[in-house]
Amino acid sequence: MNDIIIGIDLGTTNSEVAIVENGGVTVISEAGKKILPSFVGVDDNGEILVGETARNQYLIYPERTVKSIKRLMGQDARVMMAGQAYTPQEISAVILKRLKAIAEQYVGRPISKAVITVPAYFSDAQRQATREAGQIAGLEVVRMINEPTAAALVYGSGPDEAKRMLVYDLGGGTFDVSVVGVQAGVVEVLSSHGDNHLGGDDFDRQIVEHILEHLRQRGVDIAANSKAMARVNRAAEKAKLLLSDEPYAQIEEEYLLEHQGAPVHLTLELARSAYEDMISDYINATLDATHIALKGAKLTASDIDEIILVGGSTRTPCIRQRLFDEFGFEPSGGVDPDLCVAMGAAMQAAMINGQDIGTVLVDVTPYTYGTSALGYLDGMRYPYQFVPIIHKNSVLPVHKSEAFMTHRDGQRQVDVEIYQGEDPDALNNIKIGEFRVEDLLDVPAGNIITLTLDLDLNGILHVSAREKASGKEKAITINNAISRFAAEELAGAKQRIDGLFGDDGGAETGSAAASPAAAEAGKLIKKAESLFETVSAEDREDMVGLIETISDCLSSGDDAGLREPVERLSDIIYYLES
Amino acid sequence: MNTPYQILGVTEQASDAEIKQAYLEKVKHNPPDRDQQRFQQIHRAYETIKDEDSRLRYALFHWPGMEFDELLEHVFKPADRISPLPADEFLKLLSSVSIEQTLAKKIN
Repeated sequence: MNDIIIGIDLGTTNSEVAIVENGGVTVISEAGKKILPSFVGVDDNGEILVGETARNQYLIYPERTVKSIKRLMGQDARVMMAGQAYTPQEISAVILKRLKAIAEQYVGRPISKAVITVPAYFSDAQRQATREAGQIAGLEVVRMINEPTAAALVYGSGPDEAKRMLVYDLGGGTFDVSVVGVQAGVVEVLSSHGDNHLGGDDFDRQIVEHILEHLRQRGVDIAANSKAMARVNRAAEKAKLLLSDEPYAQIEEEYLLEHQGAPVHLTLELARSAYEDMISDYINATLDATHIALKGAKLTASDIDEIILVGGSTRTPCIRQRLFDEFGFEPSGGVDPDLCVAMGAAMQAAMINGQDIGTVLVDVTPYTYGTSALGYLDGMRYPYQFVPIIHKNSVLPVHKSEAFMTHRDGQRQVDVEIYQGEDPDALNNIKIGEFRVEDLLDVPAGNIITLTLDLDLNGILHVSAREKASGKEKAITINNAISRFAAEELAGAKQRIDGLFGDDGGAETGSAAASPAAAEAGKLIKKAESLFETVSAEDREDMVGLIETISDCLSSGDDAGLREPVERLSDIIYYLES
Repeated sequence: MNTPYQILGVTEQASDAEIKQAYLEKVKHNPPDRDQQRFQQIHRAYETIKDEDSRLRYALFHWPGMEFDELLEHVFKPADRISPLPADEFLKLLSSVSIEQTLAKKIN
């Protein structure tokens, strides 16, 4: 029997976990609730809180509570919680660990694998951070799939009719739009576009600003009072939700704080029309992105047969109205927009696990990847011309090579820089990694260097450069190159988060109580991996082969089989270090 | 050496819709999650012949059995080694290109 693979929607405001069982998809509920608010906190006794309880405590103890951590994923940031600094990966791991526990409780056995969804427009760094969060939580992330794609999988697995769908996914913190074709049991993403930092949280912030302005006019500034700010935040969110159904919302918070010795009460009426004015720039931005996605698929609005709304923020009435104006029909709402993504993740998990779910997924990358080279920009010689190699909306996985030449006689090294973006000037795009190929042959200019870019199904980029004449090669995985986490740090983070939950093992004791031989082998692997950057391709290949053999022995508990490959690997390391 | 037509199992006369249908059927049985290489091969075949323009380009410029590295070899061969294609090679190349037929279809 295969291990169970769970599907997880790790959202900015809400998270869910789902599995496929008995041919159907179940979003697993805990205490009757399928939605776990993405809040993490520490209570009076130093116990970790996740979900509803953490969200409730946010009002009273904002300094001990973290919300919307997804917005910081992939950044080199720290958040403070009860006087301790945490990385975004660690906070996300706490949520994942809780979802894992909910699923384990439901199926009655340990779970170690997951498919986690990410916004289609998540960058390389953000994807890597998500994978690290999974590792810290003790979950192997077997695949990351894009959120709108997951939703399309749910809607696309119906009766076998050909149709084109537009997935409009506006969550708490991110916006994605995808054009999807469904035909012959294949859900094919035709194009994707989006914005990493646009979501319901921004709508809340507009209302918060409005409230703060209202208070400032009365001479009260609450920005420094975190408790009052937390209450205003909560009130703003409540007003937003109310305005989905009502034309007016009454915002009332009594005894918000004391100002010059007198209590301040907040009473403010917000009309839906005023709210819609506040957020209209954001809505316009989503519609612009929608048109970019349509253009990317070489389609127009009239080619779309169905609109799928995903994410809680799509409950905003003016969004439905604007989409109706653009497309001429109402969006479908067959599946709960909050649960749809987790369901799609579970379906993809089942599919990876070998189950036939009747639908196959083909996804694309929303980004263009390339390098910079000596070239021309606006007709002028320019050293940083952007040379796209993998184009936006290429089907995944994709493997592309491009040949470049050295431009000086006797040039012994090249610096390869990898960018993500669309601008013909590489410097206007986002640099996502760089490396140097050294010791090239001493030959005249024109030495050919082949650059190969591989974008895998998780949207993670692998890059290699090869000197054509000598076969000399250097390869990196972009994410490893820019990730702030080394393997040891990850292990440390895992221990820290496990400690928070008060379980110093639990389900994990199996691997923790490893034999001395296994522990030694583990150290050796880490050491070998740390040398990867500096060794020749040939040595690396040998090392990778041995590491694989060792890992196999480790996972099957075959201590006797370890001896030979461990000896050979330590010989190589000894030789390399001497 | 399989042509894109053979990979997708369609004739050279197949319509866009037939080619798309054949591609999707192949993908259904070879999803990217199972065998990436096989999927990439199928996808590449589809991209090569998916519409009239692609098929024309394939018919005109396709060099049978030539992979990227070999092509490089040809393009960047040192100048002193450049020699005309041997006659039989050239005939082989020419015979693989169904220009008249493709162009005729285009004009009609």
